[in-house]
Amino acid sequence: MIKKLFIILGFVTAILAVVLAVTPLSTLAIAPIIVAFVSGVLVLLVSRKEKTKTKTIQYIFLMVIIALFLTIYKSFNPTSEIGDTKQLEQRDEENLENSIKTLEGIEIEEDF
Amino acid sequence: MKQNILLLLVFFTAVSTAQNKTIAVGEKLVYSASYNMSGLMTNIAQVKMETSEVKTSKSTLMRLKCTATTYKKWDGFFKIRDLYESYVNPKTLTPYLYKRDISEGGYYKFMQYKYNHKAKLVTSLKRKKRKDGTTWDENKSVKINPSTKDIVSTLYYIRNLDIHKANPGDQQNFTILFDNQENTITLRYIGKETIATKIGKKECYKLALSIKGSDALKGNNNNLLWLTADANKIPVYATFKIAVGNGELKIESATGLKH
Repeated sequence: MIKKLFIILGFVTAILAVVLAVTPLSTLAIAPIIVAFVSGVLVLLVSRKEKTKTKTIQYIFLMVIIALFLTIYKSFNPTSEIGDTKQLEQRDEENLENSIKTLEGIEIEEDF
Repeated sequence: MKQNILLLLVFFTAVSTAQNKTIAVGEKLVYSASYNMSGLMTNIAQVKMETSEVKTSKSTLMRLKCTATTYKKWDGFFKIRDLYESYVNPKTLTPYLYKRDISEGGYYKFMQYKYNHKAKLVTSLKRKKRKDGTTWDENKSVKINPSTKDIVSTLYYIRNLDIHKANPGDQQNFTILFDNQENTITLRYIGKETIATKIGKKECYKLALSIKGSDALKGNNNNLLWLTADANKIPVYATFKIAVGNGELKIESATGLKH
């Protein structure tokens, strides 16, 4: 019963870890990686005690390794590339033009 | 005690008559904004603060522009393209026109404040987008205090304070008009601290920020700002704590400085 529970937990968290590791939210994959790894180890220990073989453990560890590799790789190679700013630049220019017109109508009394 | 009160008075008098000795036209500060995820800081957006000259038929003003742009990898999740600008007197940094043009994950909002300092009045225009793409406007007149500024001009105004005359623990209040409401921000000088930044190791003035009567910024010592302890007083590092987490702003580059 406990073995089944940890197999399900390990499998679900390992899948979640891989999914998160692929997305930009890769740092969020750390928690499921740990849970999946611990579950995998526990399943392994129970299996050894019961002297049975469970193939799922291999899949859990494989996914943990993939997720861990991706998370570490991404944290060491942060991509700080700016997205498309054309629209922002356009709004910037439009705002500047409108602002000059608006400023013409504002009473500026201070000494410059 | 008397000496302390006198020093405090000197500090506040210096503040109230501050002239622009710090900000030059053509200054460009670039920051990287990060957010705490699972205990790790993740770079989310680039923040730029730029100044330029704007000429009208009657006067020459300084344009203070702040932009926030999410990094490419985040655009699919939550695309931010924010533009904040304030048109100020280059000598006193008194604002005359403020604009906030924000686009955050499909949400669009435009705010404009036209200042009438003589009448202590701000004419505000709010523009929002409906779901079908059409916009609607809301015009309002807001009574303001003589010292009320917008968020952008306040950010630059803080750099003009004579912090070197202040003692740790001294504080100053600023009134900021945001979403047609006046908010009081308290700035407290904590002391000097040397920190390592991308533009070198800098001795800084460490300041704590808090908003009176609002819980937008959490804690007393979680919202901090480090300004270089030199004539430029560049904001090099900032930390903030809000309801949904905490983050930081780190300087990447600083060009066109006055000193």
